[in-house]
Amino acid sequence: MSKKSRSKLWFLVHSWLALPIWFFVLIVCVTGTLAVVSQEIVWLANPQMRASPPSDDAPLLSYDQIIAAIKKAEPQTLVESINRPDESHFALDVKVSYPDGRSVTVYVNPYSGAIQGTAPPFNFQAFTRALHGWWLVPFTNGYSWGWYLVSFLGLPMLASLVTGLVVYKRFWKGFLRPTLRIRHGARIFWGDFHRLSGIWSIWFIAVISVTSTWFMIEAILSDNHISISTAPVAPVVPRESVPLTVDGAPAPMISLESAIREAKERIPGLEDSSVSLPANAYSHLLVSGRSWYPLIYQSAEVNPYTGDISTTRLLSDRSGLELVTESMRPLHTGDFGGIWIKLIWFFFGLILSMMVLSGLLIWTKRTALATANALKRNNKRPRAALTGQPAPAMSREATEGSR
Amino acid sequence: MSQVAAEKPRSPLSRFWHTWRFHINVLLLLVPLGFMPKYFADAALFRGDTGLGEREVGEIQVGPWSLRLAELRNAAPVSDGPAGYLKSFNAALCDSCRDQVKATYLRIGKPRSLRAAGVIFFGTPYHMGAALPVPEKTKNDAELWITMEGWDGAMHQASIPLSQASPATVAWLNRQGGKP
Repeated sequence: MSKKSRSKLWFLVHSWLALPIWFFVLIVCVTGTLAVVSQEIVWLANPQMRASPPSDDAPLLSYDQIIAAIKKAEPQTLVESINRPDESHFALDVKVSYPDGRSVTVYVNPYSGAIQGTAPPFNFQAFTRALHGWWLVPFTNGYSWGWYLVSFLGLPMLASLVTGLVVYKRFWKGFLRPTLRIRHGARIFWGDFHRLSGIWSIWFIAVISVTSTWFMIEAILSDNHISISTAPVAPVVPRESVPLTVDGAPAPMISLESAIREAKERIPGLEDSSVSLPANAYSHLLVSGRSWYPLIYQSAEVNPYTGDISTTRLLSDRSGLELVTESMRPLHTGDFGGIWIKLIWFFFGLILSMMVLSGLLIWTKRTALATANALKRNNKRPRAALTGQPAPAMSREATEGSR
Repeated sequence: MSQVAAEKPRSPLSRFWHTWRFHINVLLLLVPLGFMPKYFADAALFRGDTGLGEREVGEIQVGPWSLRLAELRNAAPVSDGPAGYLKSFNAALCDSCRDQVKATYLRIGKPRSLRAAGVIFFGTPYHMGAALPVPEKTKNDAELWITMEGWDGAMHQASIPLSQASPATVAWLNRQGGKP
């Protein structure tokens, strides 16, 4: 095959990768982009979720003080877990259980302990994630087929990136001489836009497509019951260490502060961003958070009666493979370094959505042109309308790309 | 290369594809729309907005204590791969026993001791859940045993027919046709 026809073939592959399902791909990109900043969107929409420090040196309440404040305000409400979001302008997310059996998240002010409100029944964050992540298809037996449907897109996306770079000859020159011609018609503009945003998003498209492909592999492994995990099976609190009480009242537990202290002693640099209370009399207190490596959480399970650390899950416990695979999700969502990283992910998410759209616009305009040409020829040669429509545009694009 | 393709006569399949290829988008968009009611129903179920579970079994007396039992789903057990089939139940403790009960367990068949009382419930006394393993060879007249343990060391047990706890599970067992 000649060099020219090979590049035509590459071009054809590139043009057709997303086409028949372009709108699906676009919506997946848009929902993913929204999901990146969904927490911030809810924060903007819902004042109860906000908690700005009253002053720069305002002290944060300890988790024990938070629980005490909740108990004082609503004596019947039971706390299940407390989560401290990354940024200080967010209220704490406290998962609570009410006597009527509802279990909801409430927003608690980290400075005063006041319950500022209940998370609305429509959980925008969870909804955008479910729509983006598994197309709302329920998980009934293993992974949902919606999960496969969406994560499979990682492969054509990766192929788009590779074929795009092959087709766009000497693309690195685009970094030095960025072109975005506005006055030469829509076709030229969208072509320039597609190429310019493409080269600047090489890293992002690579990250998103590789991590999506991993999500697909993860599902395949899980559905075939293949585990790559080195995490030990979580032990229960030994029966002997749960004290019996004479009066039949629940045995006293250690304070959350002392559990956190134990955990921090064992895991240097641990941020106590999440605490889960024991889910029954024989389960542990779980303290988890990030440390120097922002992509993976470390955790410690603490015996709630003795304060002994039962198990830990550290960075150093993970195999090399796990360090890579467990980094995939934060890399995909951009949730590992606060608002700025999220905004970068959001921006490139928008660009990626626009690339799907601009790719389609180019295709449509080119097809319109090709169809018009084909129709002209049709008058001379009856079967010409059926000849491959992209052909004239392809040769045009090839020259455009090699400019 | 496109010329080559054009010389070949088109098969009906190829013509069908060319006419309808962009309608795949519409089909794909109908998927989340179709599942949306189910998504919101499930979200409400897991928040506890629609009660303890899809089907309430009722209040069951266990010695001096009692608990309200419900099936999370009014459906057959689900396969968990090597772990076999699991059936999820939810429960809530009675108001007066909330602070006395240390742990609650579920098991098919009478437990021989407290240490073999079955699966333990996780959650708060207001709303807790347990995933009960249901072996495929379970008899359809089997009994579901509830064991409750007090903070003072007391233990109380009660049982109800599996057909009362989960008719869907018994129907599923009957469909298995007495697998060995």
